[in-house]
Amino acid sequence: MFNVKKGSLWVTALLLSFSLTAAGCSSGNSDSSNASDSNAPANQNAGDNAGTGTNNAAAGNAAADNAGANNASTKALDPYEVVMVYPDAKQNDLGAVQSAMNDYLKKTYPDMNMTVKLNPIDWSAYADKLNLMMSSGEKFDLLWTANWMNFETQVNKGALLPLDELVDQYGPDIKSVEGDLLDGAKRNGKLFGIHVHQELGNPQGIALRKDLIDKYHIDLTPLQSGEFKDLEPILKTIKENEPSVTPAVGPAFPLGAYFGSGSMESIIGPVGLDQRDTNPDNEFKVVDMYETPRYMELAKLTHDWYKAGYINKDATTPGVDIWKKFQAKTAFAAIGTDLEIVKDMAIGQPSVMAGKSAQLGMDIIQVPMNIDRLHTSKLSATLQAVSQTSKDPARAMMLLDLFYKDQNLLTLFNYGVEGTHYALNNGQIDVPQGKTKDNVGFYHDNQWMLGNQMLNYTRLGEDPNKYKNYEQFNEMVKSQPSPLIGFVFDSEPVKNELIAVSKVQSTFDPGLQSGQLNPETDLPKMISKLKAAGLDKVLGEAQKQIDAWRTANGK
Amino acid sequence: MLDNNRTHPVITIVFILSSLACLIPFWLILMVSLSGQNALAKYGYSFWPRQFDLVAYRFLAHDAEPILRSFGVSIVVTAIGTVLSLLITSALAYSLSRHDFPYRGAISLFVLVTMLFGGGLLPWYLVYTKFLHLQNTLLALIVPGLLGAFNVFIMRTYFTTSIPPSLIDSAQIDGASEYRTYFNVILPLSLPVLATIGLFTIVGYWNDWFTSLVFISSDKLYNLQYFLYNTLMNAQYLQTVADKAHIDTSSMQVQPLEELRMAMAIIAVLPVALVFPFLQKYFVKGLTIGAVKG
Repeated sequence: MFNVKKGSLWVTALLLSFSLTAAGCSSGNSDSSNASDSNAPANQNAGDNAGTGTNNAAAGNAAADNAGANNASTKALDPYEVVMVYPDAKQNDLGAVQSAMNDYLKKTYPDMNMTVKLNPIDWSAYADKLNLMMSSGEKFDLLWTANWMNFETQVNKGALLPLDELVDQYGPDIKSVEGDLLDGAKRNGKLFGIHVHQELGNPQGIALRKDLIDKYHIDLTPLQSGEFKDLEPILKTIKENEPSVTPAVGPAFPLGAYFGSGSMESIIGPVGLDQRDTNPDNEFKVVDMYETPRYMELAKLTHDWYKAGYINKDATTPGVDIWKKFQAKTAFAAIGTDLEIVKDMAIGQPSVMAGKSAQLGMDIIQVPMNIDRLHTSKLSATLQAVSQTSKDPARAMMLLDLFYKDQNLLTLFNYGVEGTHYALNNGQIDVPQGKTKDNVGFYHDNQWMLGNQMLNYTRLGEDPNKYKNYEQFNEMVKSQPSPLIGFVFDSEPVKNELIAVSKVQSTFDPGLQSGQLNPETDLPKMISKLKAAGLDKVLGEAQKQIDAWRTANGK
Repeated sequence: MLDNNRTHPVITIVFILSSLACLIPFWLILMVSLSGQNALAKYGYSFWPRQFDLVAYRFLAHDAEPILRSFGVSIVVTAIGTVLSLLITSALAYSLSRHDFPYRGAISLFVLVTMLFGGGLLPWYLVYTKFLHLQNTLLALIVPGLLGAFNVFIMRTYFTTSIPPSLIDSAQIDGASEYRTYFNVILPLSLPVLATIGLFTIVGYWNDWFTSLVFISSDKLYNLQYFLYNTLMNAQYLQTVADKAHIDTSSMQVQPLEELRMAMAIIAVLPVALVFPFLQKYFVKGLTIGAVKG
């Protein structure tokens, strides 16, 4: 019976070991992985290696030269490589930029004795790869994260270090620049992310084609009311005179966009605070947005506009790009879209949308209808955090602090090496002569991911006063903080209800938001379905958490 | 069959219709990939674009070098992977098909378990990176796809049902060793099932982008599918990121997304579509046999 030769058994054994690894069912291997962990290179990113070799040569011993260094600690620090992880498309010259950053760090901050390793991950892989790096305990220091990029999950599973003490000790410039704004990334009383210093909100409103405004001598002053309904006569003019042009296109769901403008502060799903409610007793009262009179008013308006043919019929098609409709000259106005921040921003005051005009090759006028209040969610929309696997969190924080005060270092990260990757043209960033942004080797728009944006140069074509405008705008936003600033909703207790609620929303929203459903008949239907799905429980939970938060914070 | 041995016209019509149902969407993809951006925004998808434009292909041609390299990676990985995979799968399946193979039941059970339960992403990742250190090597793209339990069972069924045990006996009576029996007798008789499983494996390797996503960070080793996925996702992210981060991205570039997507589909699908006709004659037979469980 056993006439199979010994050799075959060996082959079989080999095969089995293959099948074991290939099928991936090996629970015991995590132990052996730790043994080999210590001498394994953390991440062999072949593209990045060019710059790393040069750094260690001059490790330390430059202590005599203290110029430019304001490090509190007195004892000499061991050399340390701070690994920065962030999403970015491939940059051919990454290695050169990294060595330039390291040369600069060595020269300017010798007693910090650190080098930086840039470890960008493609956008497509960022969430997955970061998750694997965290779970497998890979060593890295600084990472970019955001509340829409798993920040809450990362905090909950303990992948991020609490930063309070680190900022106190090593982040004086972060504190002086950001101040209270840091609190937006606090979870359970501890700070887990450092907010990137940037604009604190967005203006929303209407963008219109200048050529048609001029052609029909359209008067934009009625829009100073800040009400979308006053747009109607203008849309009518276009509808009657330009048959090939859709008067108003929305972002895929127009109603959602302009309802959001100053009507509601969302907490979770359709639940939030009614910003239009002027009764001070109701300041912290949680409501369902579909039941507010404002929603009904705007839904009716949308429905009327849809019936009159003012709104694009394909508004519910996913992926509709409204700006392409502008380029194709088939759209006149975009309603409820995000606008550019300009000088002296005010509701109803038209101004030229410089960036968008340049991008589309046609003049676009913007009219703000709302300016964001200061929201907690904005303060965690782009963050830098320190990984639990960092071997020297203090050094990571020192590096991060530099990005809040050192324009040269920040410029290296954002725009590359002067002369090679950019040239200064009247104080603005331009590509060097004979280069385009496709072949310059280092070109990205990652300014919003790191440090103090107000230290940045502007690119050619942008308003040279962009960051001054930001400062001015930020003052305006800060002057009207949301009552809920600092509050973060914990959705865990109503997880199941939220899934059911969002299912109901997804069946009705497209029709209502694009104006295709009649709100008089369909909105009540939707509301009763939402109630059946457990919306009241979500409302109750939100109210409970807000009340508890108010008591705890004395609001 | 009809008397004159010709296919019934109704069947012909049905086949023509179903072929068209497969070809028309493909044609539409091709035409969308060829239409200009503004034409798409103005008129939507159409079977004959009113405005031809190679903008999407130009966008890809700008990346010609990395695309060709990723093509190379895909071809190498698919070729090596398929050959090795067929060898290993058939060897295991053949062993399991022999009734005189020791611990046959236990080993079958072991293979079956891998089909029913996976270890999950993280152990999988840890084994390859911390234990085998395969990250950022071509092997990381090849090894994970080498052995599929399902393929093993299809092959085993083929071996048990279509190769009479007496054939093996007679080969060995004539003095053939186990290896000689396997390579010179069994494998040549098994071309249909090898072609079938081979095609599964080819398609599997060719379409695999996830392994690249997990294990590869050097862009020199991206395979084609991942390269395309990556280009598309980067373009898409730039569009959506502004909303999510509430940032002013007026300076960011609008990319030909729709057309790009379609152009990529065309590029990625062609090679496999070209391989298929060559394997088709085996494919029909192989599938039938695999479908009948022993």
